[in-house]
Amino acid sequence: MKFLSTLFEYNPRHSTAQPSSKAVAKERLKLALTYDRGGLAHGTIEQLREEIIELIAKHLAIHEEDIVIDFDRTIDHDKMIASVPLQVTTRPRAEAANAEADKNTRRRRRRGRRAAN
Amino acid sequence: MAGRVITVTSGKGGVGKTTFSANVSAALATLDQKTIAVDTDVGLRNLDIVMGLENRIVFDLVDVIEGRCRLQKAFIRDRRLDTLHLLPAAQTRDKSAVSPDIMKKICDELRSLFDFVIIDSPAGIEHGFQNAVVGADEAVIITTPHVSSIRDADRVIGLLEAADKRHIRLVINRIQTELVRRGDMLDIPDILDILSIDLLGVIPEDAYIVIAGNRGELAAVHATSQAGQAYKNIARRLLGEEVPLMSIGQAKGFFKRLTRMITNA
Repeated sequence: MKFLSTLFEYNPRHSTAQPSSKAVAKERLKLALTYDRGGLAHGTIEQLREEIIELIAKHLAIHEEDIVIDFDRTIDHDKMIASVPLQVTTRPRAEAANAEADKNTRRRRRRGRRAAN
Repeated sequence: MAGRVITVTSGKGGVGKTTFSANVSAALATLDQKTIAVDTDVGLRNLDIVMGLENRIVFDLVDVIEGRCRLQKAFIRDRRLDTLHLLPAAQTRDKSAVSPDIMKKICDELRSLFDFVIIDSPAGIEHGFQNAVVGADEAVIITTPHVSSIRDADRVIGLLEAADKRHIRLVINRIQTELVRRGDMLDIPDILDILSIDLLGVIPEDAYIVIAGNRGELAAVHATSQAGQAYKNIARRLLGEEVPLMSIGQAKGFFKRLTRMITNA
């Protein structure tokens, strides 16, 4: 994602991927300006973030700590973007058993067709 | 043909409005534009001293407003560059004489006498700023690559847009290429991304500005100053010429892309 990559500018001085100071400045400014322009009360965006996490977590398994709320504002558009990493889901055993059964059914049908032809 | 009235403002103090006003006025004057720089910072006048004309003040803006002299009597013509003029501010503490209605009338009169009227606005967003902006057709916002000035610039842009000022353009002042290269200073695309306005020009940090200030000279009339060259380029863009951004230490392709972001008069 573009906005995440801006946080990690290649900087030969640092051996670990640390955000450059200007990348930090940019993110701080975007947030400050969102507040300034929107006339938002202090803490609104943090509250918004908490509410989004709560709402999505009701329906999906997510990585709450890694949620990123970003503001993408250019001359052409003004967007709030939420990036919500989902937990990798594995199929439960019951489903796997059905999938196996489906595979056997398909094999039998194919054999049946060959036998008919 | 009526002249153009351009207000130079910023919100944040100390970002280079006065230096810009003085230098771009001089650059326009060298391009044969009859230009007047107007100091609206009543009580804290600086345009006169930056232009090296501080010893020539007889009458000022408040004298004109309070009827002690005609408007033309307060003009100071630069003897080194006779198309360049200054209308100085008063150094009194009483700013109440200046109001938006009066400033509008003065701007209208100046517009009929000059090709370019460059109004140096005070810092802030209070009465001084409002007086400086009311009579203008265009605005130039000066910012530096620092979080504080960018934030203030955004606020000022919002106020100007709310006042239906259409031609608002940005000048990024005091860019330090080495810091930008290291990722320690916001660069031009970053700032444009944040502020979302058209770019008029970029001026590099240049020690010559200090020297020129000491001598009461202007970088824009000096042959070798990088900042001076940037001011000259901006003057040419104001006249509608397409001037590519100066390459101040970055890759050529990068600057070609940026140059496309610049809009002209």
